Amino acid sequence: MRTLSADVVVIGGGATGAGVVRDVAMRGYKAVLVDRVDLGQGTTGRYHGLLHSGGRYVVSDPHSASECAQENAILTRIQADAVEETGGYFVATEVDDPAWGDDFARGAAATKVPAEEISVSELLTLEPRLNRKISRAFRVLDGSVDGWQLVWGAANSAKHYGAQILTYHRVTKINRDGDRVAAVICRDDKTGEDVTINCNFVINCAAAWGGQIAAMAGCHDVQVVPGAGIMIAMNHRLTNSVINRLTYPADGDILVPVHTVCVIGTTDQKADDPDKLVISREEVQQMMDCGELLVPGFRDARAIHAWAGARPLVKDSRVGSEDTRHMSRGMSIIDHDSRDGLKGLLTIAGGKLTTYRLMAEHVVDQMCEQLGDVRPCTTANEAVPGSESGKTYQVTHRLHAREEDRLDDQILCECELMSRRQWVNASTPSHRPASTTCAANCDSAWALVRAVFARCGPPGSRWRRSTSTSSGRPA
Amino acid sequence: MTPHDSNNAHDNNNYAADQVARASLDHCVKCNICETHCPVSAVTPLFSGPKFVGPQAERYRHGESVDHSLDYCSSCGTCTLVCPQGVQIAELNSQARAVMKADHMPLRDQLISRTTLMGMAMTPMAPVANAALGFKPLRMVIEKVVGIHRDAPMPTARTQTLTGWLKKRKAPTKAPTRGSLVYFHGCAGGYFEVETSKRSIEVLEHLGYEVIVPKQSCCGLAQQSNGLFDQATAQILKLCDELRAGGKDLTIISASGSCTGMLKHEAHEIMGVDDSRLADVSTRIRDIMEFLLDLHDAGELPTNFKTIDITVPYHAPCQLKAQGMGQPAMEVLKLIPGVKAIESGVTCCGIAGTYGLKKEKYEIAQAVGQPLFDMVKATNPDLALCDTETCRWQIAKSSGVRTEHPIYLVHQAYGLS
Amino acid sequence: MSRVVVIGAGLAGLVAATRLAQGGARVVLVTKGTGGLPLSQGTIDILGYAPERVTRPLDALAGFAAANPGHPYNLLDADAVRLGVAYLRELAGPEVFVGDPEVNLQLPTAVGAIRPSAVVPAEMAAGACVDGARFLITGPGQLKDFHPQLIAENLARTQLPEGGRLAARWAQLDFPARPGESDSTGLTFARSLDDPAYRRRFAAAVRALVQPGETVGLPAVLGVSDASVLTDLTAQIGAPVFTIPLPPPSVPGVRLNNQLTAAAKAAGVRIIPGAKVIDHRSSNGRLLSVISATAGTPREYAADYFVQATGGFESGALHLDSHNVVHETVFGLPLVGADITELVHGDYWGPPQPLFKVGVGVDASMKVDGPYDNLYAVGGILAGATRWQEKSGEGIAVASAVRAADAVLAAIAATDQTPARDDATQGAQA
Repeated sequence: MRTLSADVVVIGGGATGAGVVRDVAMRGYKAVLVDRVDLGQGTTGRYHGLLHSGGRYVVSDPHSASECAQENAILTRIQADAVEETGGYFVATEVDDPAWGDDFARGAAATKVPAEEISVSELLTLEPRLNRKISRAFRVLDGSVDGWQLVWGAANSAKHYGAQILTYHRVTKINRDGDRVAAVICRDDKTGEDVTINCNFVINCAAAWGGQIAAMAGCHDVQVVPGAGIMIAMNHRLTNSVINRLTYPADGDILVPVHTVCVIGTTDQKADDPDKLVISREEVQQMMDCGELLVPGFRDARAIHAWAGARPLVKDSRVGSEDTRHMSRGMSIIDHDSRDGLKGLLTIAGGKLTTYRLMAEHVVDQMCEQLGDVRPCTTANEAVPGSESGKTYQVTHRLHAREEDRLDDQILCECELMSRRQWVNASTPSHRPASTTCAANCDSAWALVRAVFARCGPPGSRWRRSTSTSSGRPA
Repeated sequence: MTPHDSNNAHDNNNYAADQVARASLDHCVKCNICETHCPVSAVTPLFSGPKFVGPQAERYRHGESVDHSLDYCSSCGTCTLVCPQGVQIAELNSQARAVMKADHMPLRDQLISRTTLMGMAMTPMAPVANAALGFKPLRMVIEKVVGIHRDAPMPTARTQTLTGWLKKRKAPTKAPTRGSLVYFHGCAGGYFEVETSKRSIEVLEHLGYEVIVPKQSCCGLAQQSNGLFDQATAQILKLCDELRAGGKDLTIISASGSCTGMLKHEAHEIMGVDDSRLADVSTRIRDIMEFLLDLHDAGELPTNFKTIDITVPYHAPCQLKAQGMGQPAMEVLKLIPGVKAIESGVTCCGIAGTYGLKKEKYEIAQAVGQPLFDMVKATNPDLALCDTETCRWQIAKSSGVRTEHPIYLVHQAYGLS
Repeated sequence: MSRVVVIGAGLAGLVAATRLAQGGARVVLVTKGTGGLPLSQGTIDILGYAPERVTRPLDALAGFAAANPGHPYNLLDADAVRLGVAYLRELAGPEVFVGDPEVNLQLPTAVGAIRPSAVVPAEMAAGACVDGARFLITGPGQLKDFHPQLIAENLARTQLPEGGRLAARWAQLDFPARPGESDSTGLTFARSLDDPAYRRRFAAAVRALVQPGETVGLPAVLGVSDASVLTDLTAQIGAPVFTIPLPPPSVPGVRLNNQLTAAAKAAGVRIIPGAKVIDHRSSNGRLLSVISATAGTPREYAADYFVQATGGFESGALHLDSHNVVHETVFGLPLVGADITELVHGDYWGPPQPLFKVGVGVDASMKVDGPYDNLYAVGGILAGATRWQEKSGEGIAVASAVRAADAVLAAIAATDQTPARDDATQGAQA
């Protein structure tokens, strides 16, 4: 049994929790983040990778559109290493009404989302695989973002400001002291030890799992409904820019180039349990049809991976609008003082990955207000560790690195150009894990065997010297 | 006009890279068969191998060129030929090289890729040119300045061009019995390998064809293989116009295997030239040995050949193998009594067009071709056969064995020489 | 002389084409690319699991076939396999293979499992896993898919199929194939070992590690063109040597491919690589020609008989599309076993997937159950077998290739006795 103490405990290691713990730490509070598994293993690691320009919401949700446009610019600045500035297009396919483009143009102007109409022939020159029946196209500043890199960037920044990040710490109980939160009890799943974290404030960032956490503090019936969406990654980038349908947001209308693959998404199905999401054949077929509409021949391209993520949608009938502050239509903050008579607990859910920093700013502002502190948010002003140069991600990076070391290092995973040295470094605990989507070609099983034996390089070689472990006994 | 019909190099690069070859990289299952056949990676670790620079690296390319080691690829095309999954590996590499060269083009790559200019410049002063090219100190200067290796094989300039011969010779008196053909001689066949063109035309006339030789310019292959797609596209379309002027719907014959490959395949598959004039020429053109074998298969080739008692090494050039028609020369040579043609069994002679001329590639090209040079010398120290010009120059220079087009023996067997 | 077109250059295609040419047919072999042999381990597997481990494959064949209706071994009995294997050994040359089709050897794999195979390259013979064997597993670290530790430790902890245990230890060499290269393929090592000077240095490095009584297990990279590598290394190391096959590029597979290709050419087979069959012509229930994609314009190959040796899913001859429908991509032939909704079930390590058994149906002469009277099928395209699980691929390939070739030659002989043969099918190139 270990005992820690903190000003604030943040529960949940997705983008929201990482953003919140960074914000809390940068405002000078002693903070601890706990997650039942590793960072980004919930919805953050299971989405399509789109960094919204705001274009998607210029008609349906103008407020969100403006927020996305602002946050896109901020993230590209402060988390450059997680962002690829791919650019994006909104395109009217043969089944979309071209006149909707006029609504789009008006909405973009009103929400200050940068957008310009380009000719279809220019679009087809830039993205030659797109459907030639496209009738209109708008260029926007969409990008793609690596969810793991994003969340680790924020977490490392929080650590820099003194926060503790405790992964594989499952919350088992939230202790109250009368009408106040007193402590969070966790089980360290790697050691089996119980850990008590005494604290003044808890911010529940468990997203689709948020209702389960609130219930541990005796706040029942917080309904965060998992809205499941499936995504499919294709073997290589069929387009090098984000492609959106020029229409009211719907299923299967986004194609996002992320690292070496491109991802088509997504669907929206109510799920009962965020830990048991189903990928149905029908949804897969639906996505393939959507891909075919954007890129003819999509069905003949190689699909390598499908996954589902759970959007946290707050539907809480017990909360009146005067009790819950709707900071935007996408994000909800539940104040358990006014709802349940428990001080020191806020639940945040909903929102979009693109606006994760802003969500954190809002919830931490509310916490400061409740604590009576005046400590302004500074998260937009400073780059996270690793992004200081401001250089955004380039898909060519590993090929470039390989060009330097191709004669003195071995490639273990050929699809992702993962070298032995990269693997050994990445599997060192102090180092951020590298994120890749395995293209699952025929030698992926061999990549696994190579990875297991990565530390057993021949004696005297360069890669061996870079590792501290030794190979097996001499014969 | 869609943007992709344009002759603009930028559009062509995009069209080709995105439409043609990239589509095939999904089919790579990393079976490594291309790696087992690549003649360059067999002799040097400097080249990362076709699987790496092709389908693997392609997933990381985004218009920007970062992997300059791909320039060690000789563009022999063997990887595409042997791929069991139909991945256009060589085409992917050629396109990536074009993107690389768009940033930076050494003077040498521009000079040696302009083959017509070189031939036209050298012919009137052939003895001087030959003497100069054979003169070591001068070659060393050339190596320093333009980067062509001092020992690299260079064509021998002739005192007479094909056009000169056609003007001066006695035209056939017999009336044609089989109709007309258009003859495409290629730059080498027009300026350096004039004998091969003459023999080919005489064999076709002997068979009863009228042979039309329209004025013709370069196919642009050397520019293509050096990544100069815009120049090459302009060249090949000019050539298509010239060949089409020779006669509508006529079969076009050539003894220049690599230029034929450019017209049949590479201009479209690598550079993405999508032009009806090219489509027309590419469906009508035949390699001369392919044409003779087709005649034989149809029972229309006279086989009243003289006996020639000879054992001769035959090397099928990469460019010809890549055309997917097998080795027609071997089949035709089998028809000549006494001729025992021995297939080299070697993948590549190393030259790969202009690859082996470059000073940083010369040693690699020699190592690639070494088993072939040894085989040729051991089989017949006096004569070897090979269908394409630069390969013949390479074999002759490096093995010291006279190397001729297979039509040489056909010409002789028909009693024409 | 009758013409036959063989499609595909894998084991079945090369064997069928060579036997047809030796039997007097004029054979053109068209192939999209190199066949599957360089991906194979170079062994001739007949029946390894039925589903339990098999020790005498030919004895087990009839029972296995009876338990698996629709399996090609219902048409190809033990004698057919004996005939096929004997013919293959004749083509490859007397020094290439050892072993007996009647008995399975138990050989170490690259992950240290023990795999049954019947007829194997000579260099693998000393690796038979028998009680009391003492192995030293070693190889260069620059060869990333050979892990001596994994192999030795797995072998040492395994109860052998026929009882007992073996001892195995491991050592890793620091021995580049070429100076300065840390990531070399097996083929690069094989080419280096073709060089006698490199071979001597390599042998000296291994010899320093061997203890008396040990047998040395090396990666299967013992030369690609020089046949004397095994005997040289055995003599220079001073201990028996065997090899363990690696993932592709497989050197024993490359060598076998070279040997069989040379045999086919010597028999007069005209091989056309880079010629994917994209179309065909037929009339009155007979195929007249196949049309291949060729640079410039497609080429047509007319023939009297056609042998399809295209392989299955692995080569693209069978294709599962994104709507979950299986197609035969060369002729659009009807398929056996494709009319199941769940072609792939979710239990990855569970029972065999129905998808793998999908293929073309044939009669006892290997004539395809389909619209054409003169089309035969051999090897991996045949329905009913899960080859990789049964370890039956090469047995089916050689037996079906010989059966089909002999059936075509018999049909030719029968037609040749009928003088009024329709010569239209002998048509010229288009």
